[in-house]
Amino acid sequence: MASARKRSRGESLALRYAILGAWALFCLVPVLWFLSIGLRPRIEIITPQPIYFPTFSLDAWHMIWEDWPMGKYLRNSVLAIIGSVIIDLILAIPAAYSLSRFEYKGRDDIGFYILSTRMMAPAIVAVPIFFLFRNFGLLDTIWALMLIYAAINLSFVTWIIRSYMLDIPKELEDAAKTDGAGELRILWEIIIPAILPGIITASVIAMIFAINEFLFTLLIASTPDAYTMSVALANFTGGSDGVIYNAIALVAFLAFLPVFLVVVLIQKHLSRGLTMGAVKG
Amino acid sequence: MARIQLNNIQKRWGAIWGVRDVNLDIADEEFVVFLGPSGCGKTTTMRMIAGLEEPSEGEIVMDSEVMNEIDARDRDVAMVFQGYALYPNMTIYENIRFPLRMRGVPKEQHDTLIKRAAGLVELTDYLDRKPSALSGGQRQRAALARAIVRQPHVFLMDEPLSNLDAKLRQHMRVQIKHIQRELKITTVYVTHDQIEAMTLADRIVIMDKGAIQQIGTPDEIYNDPANTFVANFIGAPPMNLIAGVMEQGTFTAPGVRVDGLPAKHDGKVTLGVRPEDCTVTADGGHLSGSVYGVEPTGDMTYLTIKVGDKLIEVKAHRDYRADLNSDASVGFDPKRIYIFDTASGQRLR
Ligand SMILES: Nc1ncnc2c1ncn2[C@@H]1O[C@H](COP(=O)(O)OP(=O)(O)OP(=O)(O)O)[C@@H](O)[C@H]1O
Ligand SMILES: [Mg+2]
Repeated sequence: MASARKRSRGESLALRYAILGAWALFCLVPVLWFLSIGLRPRIEIITPQPIYFPTFSLDAWHMIWEDWPMGKYLRNSVLAIIGSVIIDLILAIPAAYSLSRFEYKGRDDIGFYILSTRMMAPAIVAVPIFFLFRNFGLLDTIWALMLIYAAINLSFVTWIIRSYMLDIPKELEDAAKTDGAGELRILWEIIIPAILPGIITASVIAMIFAINEFLFTLLIASTPDAYTMSVALANFTGGSDGVIYNAIALVAFLAFLPVFLVVVLIQKHLSRGLTMGAVKG
Repeated sequence: MARIQLNNIQKRWGAIWGVRDVNLDIADEEFVVFLGPSGCGKTTTMRMIAGLEEPSEGEIVMDSEVMNEIDARDRDVAMVFQGYALYPNMTIYENIRFPLRMRGVPKEQHDTLIKRAAGLVELTDYLDRKPSALSGGQRQRAALARAIVRQPHVFLMDEPLSNLDAKLRQHMRVQIKHIQRELKITTVYVTHDQIEAMTLADRIVIMDKGAIQQIGTPDEIYNDPANTFVANFIGAPPMNLIAGVMEQGTFTAPGVRVDGLPAKHDGKVTLGVRPEDCTVTADGGHLSGSVYGVEPTGDMTYLTIKVGDKLIEVKAHRDYRADLNSDASVGFDPKRIYIFDTASGQRLR
């Protein structure tokens, strides 16, 4: 009996690893494929015959750094994204606090309105936003990108943080109040530490959205001054050189890498964050 | 260090009543215990004293200052919450320290105060843990330590010992009483435990359905209940209540007959007698029925007698034994018989 159970335990463990392994492979193969494309000569990529022993080449690597100001694009991306997340958090945390804690008329309607801004098709606001930014003289600047990314993500960052705040027992704030703490101190010392996983989760998702943002970036950035990785990718698709696949693959990989690293680093908080809203206690 | 008056306090949320019409005058340095069934408004009343809930009607006065508009943080109370409310991101040490920091207690005193409070609740070894790494009882004691670490005007304690084992509970009870007496701090204390209420309280407030049923010293509550609710709520097992009819000083109910009661209470009344004021007699007692249960506990024997369809509890001598369904007869201590109006439940004196 006991050994039978043990064996089936071992089998189910093996099965579990097999399933997880298959899933990991399924997710990783495209990424590795991309990397391999990026690190091969251009000729080799467009030949119709299968190649079993690919040649390694840093052509694309040299091309993106030397012929193109990729460093600048990367910097633009990072600055715009980090700036936008900071703006989002500064605005979303107090908003979420208000939406989750204070009782006032129309509170839930405001909450829903904030979320509904996300439901609009971006193309509808593209033209007005272009003129708005032009009038403010913000076209072709990182500042504009920061603002636009922040605006796109603000609603759901607020919403996620709010749902985490709703999970904090009200008694906790009551205790802090009777202990003599003011609202801001309660927010800073009690609430924010308690919802840190939620803040991290929201920030990572906002970063992913921002790094993939294309439409508004294209609209606002007209010179390399404000080009980001996502728009830079588009540069390899046209012009007299044709589609430069290996450069595209490499840039796509580079755009993917930072987010991937961030997620791996904060994995513990992230998984806790994604489930914390569901289970009380 | 504060007198607390609750004048005509009401609290409702829309159609839901939390508290209806509470009037209470708590003297400076007094220890008042709220006792009542779940949902009767104990926590709500306490939260209004703390300033966490605003009364819908009425006034809260502390030392002749109306407090209704005063913020919780300016009331200088220390509260133990029913759900502990420990700050999850802070260690126990930081939790206990929080009120000291907020109230501007000089930094150099913190460590001594924290260690002393933790010592009183026997948590000295757990100071560097997070609340999530403590057991329920340890968390509760941490919450208690956070409240007693400084000297507020008022202590509010909402079932602070509910999660402790009997021994620790008894020990903590003594500590709380000692601290309260030593620091002379007005204290409001909520409990479900009658022994706790009896031993700690200067006065007990019995509540039911959002209203105060009786306010009195433990003796008064026990020996002089104002109505059937209080009579039935206090005592273990509680007072026997027998509905019947009074005619010219004679109370009768199926299987029960008591003479020589005051004639002025004629009509439908309920007779109350505590289990310990009943004695098993050979026969010719006030009540006769059949033995329903016998439970020896060592120092006494609980005897349950079935009279008609009612069960009557008697505390009998520890040697008492009887067969099930045998006849039993019980006499009441005539000085300890209580008469209540059956319709209103109010005591008739
Ligand atoms: N925020 C609220 N909104 C609506 N009703 C409430 C609220 N808080 C309490 N109540 C109601 O008020 C009544 C009194 O609640 P309260 O918490 O004071 O009871 P309690 O005496 O402390 O009970 P327990 O012994 O179970 O802690 C209950 O019926 C409860 O449902
Ligand atoms: Mg309660």
